Amino acid sequence: MPEDPHQPAHVAPYIRHLSINRFRGIEALSWFPDKGMNVLLGGGDVGKSTILDAIAMLLSPTNAATLSDADYWQRRHEDGFEIAAAMALPLNCGIVEQRKASWPWEWSADGPKLPDLEANDGQPLDPVFCVRVCGTPDFELQHEICQPDDSVDHFPVSVRRNIGVVRLGGDDRNDRDLRLIQGSALDRLLGDKTLRSRLADKIGETDVHGQLKESAKTALGDLDERFHKRTLPSQLSLGLVGGPGFSLNALIGLTATKDGTMLPMASWGAGTRRLAALEVAAAHHAEHPIMIVDEIERGLESYRQRILVEELLASPSQVFVTTHSAAAVHAAATATLWYVDAGGKIGRLPASVAAQQKRDPETFLARVAVIAEGATEVGFVTNLLTRSLGEDLRRHGIWVSDGGSNSEALTVLRGLATSGLKVAGFADNEGTQQGLWQQTKDQLGDLLMRWADGCLETNIIPHLQDHQLEAFIAEPDGDSGERLRTLADRLNLEDKSLAAIIAASDDIRALMIAAACGTAPADPNAPEAQKKAWKKHGQRWFKSAAGGAELADKLFGLGLWPHVAPQLLPFVNAVRRAVGLEAVQVVV
Amino acid sequence: MSDETVAEALRSAARLVVVEAPGGCGKTYQGASYACDIATALGDGRLLILTHTNAACDVFAGRTRGLSRRVEIRTIDGLIIEIAGAYRHPLALPEDIGAWARRRPKGYDLLGEMVARLLTRHPGIADCVARRYPIVVCDEHQDASADQHAIVMALHRSGAQLRVFADPMQMIFTGTQAQTAAAEQRWAELKTAADRFEELDQPHRWANIQPELGAWILTARATLRDGGKIDLTGNLPAGLTVHFAENSSPQRTGFRVAAQESQAIYARANAPSLLVLTGQNDRVTALRAFFNRRLPIWEGHVREGLSTLAAHCMAHQGNAEALARGTLTFIGSVASGFSPSAFGNRFVLEAQQGCVKPCNGKPQHLQAMARHIVECPDHRGVARALDYLRGLAANEAAFAEVRVHHGREFAEAIQLGQFENADDGFAEIARRRTHARPQLPMKAISTIHKAKGLEFENVMVLPCDADNFSNTKASRARLYVALSRATRSLMLIVSKEKPSPLFNL
Repeated sequence: MPEDPHQPAHVAPYIRHLSINRFRGIEALSWFPDKGMNVLLGGGDVGKSTILDAIAMLLSPTNAATLSDADYWQRRHEDGFEIAAAMALPLNCGIVEQRKASWPWEWSADGPKLPDLEANDGQPLDPVFCVRVCGTPDFELQHEICQPDDSVDHFPVSVRRNIGVVRLGGDDRNDRDLRLIQGSALDRLLGDKTLRSRLADKIGETDVHGQLKESAKTALGDLDERFHKRTLPSQLSLGLVGGPGFSLNALIGLTATKDGTMLPMASWGAGTRRLAALEVAAAHHAEHPIMIVDEIERGLESYRQRILVEELLASPSQVFVTTHSAAAVHAAATATLWYVDAGGKIGRLPASVAAQQKRDPETFLARVAVIAEGATEVGFVTNLLTRSLGEDLRRHGIWVSDGGSNSEALTVLRGLATSGLKVAGFADNEGTQQGLWQQTKDQLGDLLMRWADGCLETNIIPHLQDHQLEAFIAEPDGDSGERLRTLADRLNLEDKSLAAIIAASDDIRALMIAAACGTAPADPNAPEAQKKAWKKHGQRWFKSAAGGAELADKLFGLGLWPHVAPQLLPFVNAVRRAVGLEAVQVVV
Repeated sequence: MSDETVAEALRSAARLVVVEAPGGCGKTYQGASYACDIATALGDGRLLILTHTNAACDVFAGRTRGLSRRVEIRTIDGLIIEIAGAYRHPLALPEDIGAWARRRPKGYDLLGEMVARLLTRHPGIADCVARRYPIVVCDEHQDASADQHAIVMALHRSGAQLRVFADPMQMIFTGTQAQTAAAEQRWAELKTAADRFEELDQPHRWANIQPELGAWILTARATLRDGGKIDLTGNLPAGLTVHFAENSSPQRTGFRVAAQESQAIYARANAPSLLVLTGQNDRVTALRAFFNRRLPIWEGHVREGLSTLAAHCMAHQGNAEALARGTLTFIGSVASGFSPSAFGNRFVLEAQQGCVKPCNGKPQHLQAMARHIVECPDHRGVARALDYLRGLAANEAAFAEVRVHHGREFAEAIQLGQFENADDGFAEIARRRTHARPQLPMKAISTIHKAKGLEFENVMVLPCDADNFSNTKASRARLYVALSRATRSLMLIVSKEKPSPLFNL
């Protein structure tokens, strides 16, 4: 017999599967969230907050709830709604100690299942409890525990409180939790059940009438007489009175002292208020409550967002966060990122995009993220799309991001292609990983522009007319010395005049491509110093974001667009369509 | 004094406390007062008292009044049914598990096996039960089957504290030898595993009535347990009478003694209260005759004949012949004199042939009886047939030899006819019986087995001979159970010619 009693498998409660049916804008959703922090990304009005609201409603620490027909999908309240979860729960939440016993299901990869008596495993068991909240057709909420024998029992408030949910909403209502409203975090923290009624008595005793000026007392006296005449209730006075929808106790709120003056917490800035509300909520007795933070960035500077995200990551709690902040996404390094698309589908961003998350967190917040394989492509694509749109890309939610390298860009594109996040790609054809590129192309279609062969330089330079060479070589400030020098070096010429270079070269365009691409010497035994120097040649040309933009300007300035339009126009139009714009025939 | 150390052990932090508790030594008092003391300190959990009979549940409930929110008292079969019910889908059980278990032979044993396997293989479920019941008190644990024991131990592994009361000397030896050996092995292992092992040794039951007898019974218990012989030669305690008489009945299970030997026995039977105990069912019937039908038979709380009959009726609805056969079997188990040759075969034949042949006399009555079943071929027809037989036995000379020994069970079978469904009816009758708690008669004849848990002022055990009490573990336990039923006087009818090896004469 083992000395130690069997330890509960999970310290912190967590949702292993969540399903939402007909709740607000979500018709049906099935989601297996992660045990730690879940960051929900996605555009506006896609249902991120609805998912958080659903979790908060399921675990709500009170029974008080007012439903409206807007809580039902397509306002069809007659169909009801259901929010259900399979949860790993520590047994100290009291779920098995209720009047009626509750029984666990067993977890399997595709959801809760009945224990298999024949499975001869002795495997560590992974028990889960199935709970749900239903909105009935007559606007009532029913919290229920679903038992393995199909029966359904009440899911009591006490158990929900012990599981605990700490909620920080995205709206400005979080000031509610800093007030003594019934069921508010402050109310639960204090846990003084009779305080409210005691205070109500005290408040009721306040002598308002005695404070009135004489003229006011006279006016009240006159009114009293008129009431009396009409046999209305008389002997009028003034006192503090509550009323439906608000209570005098709601006037009681948390205060703090600043510069010797007592001020309501509600008068601090939004960020401080939010952090304060979070602390109040987290201080109540559930050990590791499920944390829900809508729009984590709200009211917080980047550094405070970062601290908050890091603290949430470090806690053993399961955390649900929505954000539109690059700082928050960047800080959420070990969190699981999820993308909620406009169809309400939720997709996991794979771990393979972690490098991109660090490099450029904005990628995950854009309406359309264009992964360009390097700096040149970033500059070129930005210029190209700006030309097509006629205004700043960011106004359309398009974000062009540096994928880091050809293979890195492929990794990121593959990771994002099935996540639901709209992603486009712009890459060279280095002749490597052809199969994977083809797979990605199949998924993304025209949103992926990969040259049939080579790169920007190899696809543009060959189209230059002889008379255009000089203008093409010239940098935007008119100087062309450094670029000519790279050409002359490759021919071992002292003279770096264009004429001399053309004379010494049998293919000036190939030479330009080699220099612009930083191609190494043909002779593998060339001195190391030469190899290094030649590699750097590319930077003199277009190997930078500015260089990429310059290349695009020259493409259009020199009238070369028609040569590459068959390759680039479908891409431009695919991006345009992704942000809801019509396709175009020309780009200027 | 063991009482204090037992009380202290129960209240200690020890996770497994085993108390060897001979009958009459205050086990229920200890268990109930412990439950009362500890219940308020349990937080959200409950103390669970697991018994084997509803009667024991009632006793504990009476002594833990007002604590029903903190103390749950149930039979271990009740707990098994609850767990099996929660997982009836993977266990492939129907919604009404109680009916399922009643309907098949050893149904409760099957359930116990399933639940033991469930809890052992899925400790997460046991964790939940153990969390709900952080303390489990097991009453009369010697009666637990291997699976019931496994269930309790699964709860223990999941963190529940166990308080086990058992009297291994009261083990019911009904299984095979291997099962008996396994039960003893379990007890030995349980003692070894216990963090605390204590023994109750104060004969409280006799303290104010017949203390010498109480002390003698406890000594006899130790002697029987340790393989010795009870000495009947020396000074006998007040309250104990040894009467020598030889059973001269030619039948194996009969009972007859010579006139001069019987006087003392009949004299004792004239006392206002008496429980006559013997080994086998058949001997009970014989003793009823021996005492001139003046002592009723104690039928106990179990109705094996009736449960078989109810199941049989469910299984053979519409088949008059099969129903008649089941009826015949039932009559055989509760009455004598309705022999197959003289009555039964004709009765079944009538049912088979549809009661069409004109006949007179006794066959006519049997035909009338069978007609009830032919006209209503289910438990209701069977009930009417039995009711008809009751009338025949009372009024017809030809049926005068039909004697019902288990009157209650017979009456309940007739009662069954009032229900739509035999299963539901049986369950309801059993429920009423449990709650109505049949009053013990002042006098009764009973098998030792059915007398477990009963107390009578005066007890007579007979015949104490080699046939009834041989030198086996089972016999030793049976003899101890018989001896310990008496609170004031105990009379042993002892054979000298075929002496039992358990006595020193």
